[in-house]
Amino acid sequence: MMHILIELAVMPLVAFTIGMFMVLMMRKIAAKIQRRVGPPLLQPLYDIVKLYAKKTQSSHGLLHDIGIVMAVGGYIAAETMLPVPGMNGIADKAGLLTLAYVTMIPSLGLALGVGQCANPNGSIGIARALTAMLAYDIPFVVIIFGASWFYGSNNLIEVIAAQQAGGIASWGVTKMPLLAIAGLFTLYAMLGKQPFEIYVAPAEIATGPMVEMGGKHLGGLFVMQCFQLFTASAVYVSMFLGGGENWLFFILKLFAVVAIPMSMAFVFPRYRTEDVLAVVWRWPMVLGLAGVWLVMH
Amino acid sequence: MSTLQSIPVVATKAEKPSGGTGNLLANVFDELTAFCRSRSLFMLHYCTGCGAIELPPAMTSRFDMERLGIQPMVTPRQADILLVTGYVSTKTLKRIILTYEQMNSPKYVIGICSCTVNGGMYWQSYATAKVLADYMPVDMYIAGCMPRPEAVISGLRELMANIRAGRSDNWRDYYRRYDHYLGNQQRLFGENWQTPTDVIGEARHYGQFGPETLGEHTALLERHQTPLLPFEMRLGLGGEKTGVENKGDKR
Repeated sequence: MMHILIELAVMPLVAFTIGMFMVLMMRKIAAKIQRRVGPPLLQPLYDIVKLYAKKTQSSHGLLHDIGIVMAVGGYIAAETMLPVPGMNGIADKAGLLTLAYVTMIPSLGLALGVGQCANPNGSIGIARALTAMLAYDIPFVVIIFGASWFYGSNNLIEVIAAQQAGGIASWGVTKMPLLAIAGLFTLYAMLGKQPFEIYVAPAEIATGPMVEMGGKHLGGLFVMQCFQLFTASAVYVSMFLGGGENWLFFILKLFAVVAIPMSMAFVFPRYRTEDVLAVVWRWPMVLGLAGVWLVMH
Repeated sequence: MSTLQSIPVVATKAEKPSGGTGNLLANVFDELTAFCRSRSLFMLHYCTGCGAIELPPAMTSRFDMERLGIQPMVTPRQADILLVTGYVSTKTLKRIILTYEQMNSPKYVIGICSCTVNGGMYWQSYATAKVLADYMPVDMYIAGCMPRPEAVISGLRELMANIRAGRSDNWRDYYRRYDHYLGNQQRLFGENWQTPTDVIGEARHYGQFGPETLGEHTALLERHQTPLLPFEMRLGLGGEKTGVENKGDKR
């Protein structure tokens, strides 16, 4: 019992630390593409500490505060269900479907919080964010279905064990390449970077959902971003790249999975909302359905 | 206001570290926050004049502000620095004050270009607010017409050093001497000037209340203040006049 409690506390902390370095990597990649030096090593930490150390706050009411708690809390719950090397948390009691549910909570929490801000830019932004969620969650469910069908289980511990049994040859990416490609595409859309960042659109709707977030509220969202990067990449690594044999390989895989979409992201402008739907429902969806067909036959 | 020295730049002293002198760990947290504050600055550039043209090179690949932890942000809620880049007309100043009051403290104001220092080449203009520091506390002036990106970055570095040492606390001054700033604002905008932000209430709430927070000008404000009402929601079917009037736009 004590063992589980310690894991429940440690797993989100580890995820947060790794997520912070992923944010740093993302900003460094952007800087390198634009031929800049980029932020120093601990910049994400400075930002978060500074935001939490603001002296005055601009809260618009209870739901505004609770929305942020939901946004961070949803991901903290997700971390406890994602097995990492040496720690399983409550992963044996939850499956991929539970994870898909739990990772929706942050967007819904954010929608609640933004609603109370009563800022039109925020409302436009969150409407676009929820539409984008609709866009990437449907292929995501198709991919989860295909992977679960293939492994005969929805449980991530069993999925990882099945992949680690035979080395790279038994990884999801070699067994079901179409689903893996569709998964990477969906993950790209999930991370909400160019060209899928119409809901943020800084110059146009002033960062959309974040428009009224300052101080601790924005700090909460920065923490959420760290968790989001970790969660998305850890789910992908667990489904297709054999999970973590040890920490070194696990972290290398996580960073590689985030680096691939990020290296493409910063050279793109952005899609409009309807184009996001069209692209995400066309390519990863078709690839995913084809992958599911291959898996079932 | 002919010499640079006569322009009031408010400098507050660093707060004395509280707690016992023997305990080395007593100020660790304060030191950490001061360090992080100085190394992470989100700036909102209110591009009112020509100085704005010097900011893109300062932000992009040539001079790259992000290596100092300085990033552009797009809303006042997220920002730490308000960059006023150039001359400030009476009409613009209203928006700058609204923006400034919406920012979360600690917040810093930087006046770029000579126009924010003393009116610059707009000295004789009837529609230009000459001295920015009359209307809000300014932490740093970067003079020049226009200052080059090197000057902008060197000014920002100096601001970072001030924040690190606890010397840049002018946001408190806006609360403590609100009557003074409000008086200058009323002189320019008329006595029925008001903003949506309840500065006096904030000063009370955050313990920044000073002897000069209230005065004759805030008394005038209270006399003219109309309560801010939420927008009336009406569903009209085309052509029908809604009768909803934005009180903020009357100013």
